[in-house]
Amino acid sequence: MKLTVLQESLSKALSLTSRFSNPRAQLPVLGNILFSAKGNKLILTSTNLETSVVYSVGAKVEKKGKITIPAKIISELVSNLNEGQIKLTSEKEQLKIATQGFTSTISGMNAADFPEVPSQMDKAAGSLPIEPFLNALSCVIFAASNDETRPILTGVLFIFKDKELVLVATDGFRLSQKKIKVDGFKADLKEKRIILPKSSLTELSRFSKEQETFFLSYQKENNQVIFGFPDIIFSTRTLEGEFPNFEKIVPKISKIKLRIDKEELLKAVKLAAVFARDSANIVKIKVKEKEIVLSAESSRGGSQETKVDARVESEEKLGKDGFQIAFNYRFLEEFLHSMEGEEVEMKLSEQTAPCVFTDPKDPSFLHLIMPVRIQS
Amino acid sequence: MASENTNEIWREVLESAKVSVSPAIFSTWFSQTHLTKLQKVNNRYIAHVGCSSSFVKTTVESRYFGLIQDYLIKSLGEKCDLVFTVKQVPNQKSIQKEGEAAPLFKQEKIQEEEIARVLSQARIRPGFTFDNFAVSSSNQMAWAAAEAVSKSPGTAYNPFFMWGGVGVGKTHLMLATGHSLLKRNIDSNILFCTGEEFTNDIVEGIRNKTTQAFRNKYRKLKALLVDDIQFIEGKNAVQEEFFHTFNALIGAGGQIVLVSDRPPGDLAKLEERLRSRFEAGLIVDVAPPDFELRCAITLIKAKERGIEIPMDLIHIIAGNISSARKIEGFIVQLISEAKLKNSEITEDLIQLLLGKSIEENEIKKKASPNEYLSAVCKYFSVGKRALLGEGRARPISNPRQVLMYLLRTELKLPLQEVGRIIGGRDHTTVMHAVEKITHLASKDVQTRQDILGIKNSL
Repeated sequence: MKLTVLQESLSKALSLTSRFSNPRAQLPVLGNILFSAKGNKLILTSTNLETSVVYSVGAKVEKKGKITIPAKIISELVSNLNEGQIKLTSEKEQLKIATQGFTSTISGMNAADFPEVPSQMDKAAGSLPIEPFLNALSCVIFAASNDETRPILTGVLFIFKDKELVLVATDGFRLSQKKIKVDGFKADLKEKRIILPKSSLTELSRFSKEQETFFLSYQKENNQVIFGFPDIIFSTRTLEGEFPNFEKIVPKISKIKLRIDKEELLKAVKLAAVFARDSANIVKIKVKEKEIVLSAESSRGGSQETKVDARVESEEKLGKDGFQIAFNYRFLEEFLHSMEGEEVEMKLSEQTAPCVFTDPKDPSFLHLIMPVRIQS
Repeated sequence: MASENTNEIWREVLESAKVSVSPAIFSTWFSQTHLTKLQKVNNRYIAHVGCSSSFVKTTVESRYFGLIQDYLIKSLGEKCDLVFTVKQVPNQKSIQKEGEAAPLFKQEKIQEEEIARVLSQARIRPGFTFDNFAVSSSNQMAWAAAEAVSKSPGTAYNPFFMWGGVGVGKTHLMLATGHSLLKRNIDSNILFCTGEEFTNDIVEGIRNKTTQAFRNKYRKLKALLVDDIQFIEGKNAVQEEFFHTFNALIGAGGQIVLVSDRPPGDLAKLEERLRSRFEAGLIVDVAPPDFELRCAITLIKAKERGIEIPMDLIHIIAGNISSARKIEGFIVQLISEAKLKNSEITEDLIQLLLGKSIEENEIKKKASPNEYLSAVCKYFSVGKRALLGEGRARPISNPRQVLMYLLRTELKLPLQEVGRIIGGRDHTTVMHAVEKITHLASKDVQTRQDILGIKNSL
């Protein structure tokens, strides 16, 4: 392998691909990045056996070839080099790097040991504009669980419908659902439900911001989904298992409906958080005729109360004490951060039934939070 | 092949592979595989190897195919092919199953607990719902009305009056109505009581000077379900109190459901003003279950006790027992007998129990064998002489067998005695006849009607 590549593009490619290599893996080759020169491209590949990324960089290739290099060493070296051309030459299991006034030799490993990863989009089942997709992802991904004892909840459910892609995530205490309009998918994705790990999607959203559209393909027999960008092929495994039946738990009736300014509610939640932190994160909400009162108290710290104006519609008359319900403030905070509108609509039915949060201007978004039980 | 066996074989293969490859390679690739299936086709095994991800699959398949095949052939002692698939290791899945449902998805259960609590508050016995109520033409009207009441209490039919004989399902329907009302709105204030409990409550109230508490209890209800209302008949103070409760409830839009063994018009000692009020609502009679309904009931009851009874046996039971409660009792008896004898539920066992019969503890006017004899003769219009004679033509032998069946099951006469009455026949003849009619009763409508007709004519 012999080629010349620009430092800027190589550095960018390395910073991404090195994220997917794991230097502590038992198999040493998994801590490496595969360099392969082909045509007029340098292709970098890395994988952690759950996800893989294949990144193509434009280069002047003089001689084809392949080698794997420890990710940490090469990315640290290249990121500290000056902008400009870099010459890469492989010799047996060593890679030589040369720029003006700098040379280095890194020992690598035989490329034959590197696992096979999907490097091509064979047949794309649909394409999506990236911006609405990333927006939708940020609306749901925070609700996915981090708890490995329920692996299925650490994923985000993708439901491919006719003209719609539905994303759902839940950790068992709250649930977020967002729908995106799409042009439609090919047959092998239609009506499919796929669960993708939260961690892969976080990575995906990190590097794909600058992109415009991407292609999607699902390989059922390999339990794999491939995202294709112009220069990047990203693959992730799907999670096997049954996603809980979330449609059933969305309450269909509500007794109290209220609308609140989002910023004011967020402020009130943050104020409540000061004391709620000491008392199991509980913030109580009292719904009254024209306002809601958020309160939190801790036995050591003290207590607080914030009134927020709200437009309340209730089927039953709210008494002097109003309707009481309690939430974990962190769930409220994370939800309020994720939504974009200026107003929040809350639908309540019972103290033990989940509360429905929506954006009145955006019917495609739905969030559920399970209240905390309080002794009255 | 059993799963322990495949696991065993695969462990053997992996143990041998461990020797040939480096530990890093083993733990990265081999430990991520398992044997999902092992088939044998024409002296060759086909082994389905599940890999945890596609990376594992491609690597193991392309590099270690020969190695795995070799060891597998050694373990199995026969030729074998490998098929690789991506599949998670099954024990990993079991972890997630063990975990309890997350709170958001637990609600159903919470709701159930809540319902159980309010049910006991309303004194409604759980287990009586619309779901396990079988419907046929005999009780369809009552069922539809009860459903309507549970959907729009206070407006659909108020009051709702059901009447019918013993064990036809009136109380079940009433309890189901209450159950469904509570399920729809867990906060609604509902009370189920019997006419007798209502009476006792008033007496208690009068004795302890707490009639006010009594009124608070009954007059603020959203729905009042009174079973066996006929018991307040002829008790003036109770009827007056019920009259006021009735008016207060209806005035406030509450639902009243009443159950009695007679229609209001036949409750002779009921005050006129109460009767007219009862008659203002919907009055529905619930008829005794017909054969098809009894089959359905038998099925439901058997299912509730967790046993499966084949359809033909269900027919035998439903064909020979006429009331729902007896069917339930019979099934309990059947199960305990089957358990005791450690045998399966068979036709013989059912025949045996039917013979012993359920009616043992029932106080019943026993007709004499002679009365049965003349009833059968009259019903089938055959002469006594012919019936007890030697003729074996069907028009005579069939009534004769019915007679034997009745003597055996209704009068519990010993086989030989029955044989003696039927013109000195052998006890095996009697056995055959009883068996045949028991069987026919399960299948043939005519036979069932005949038996019922004869019983009624006695």
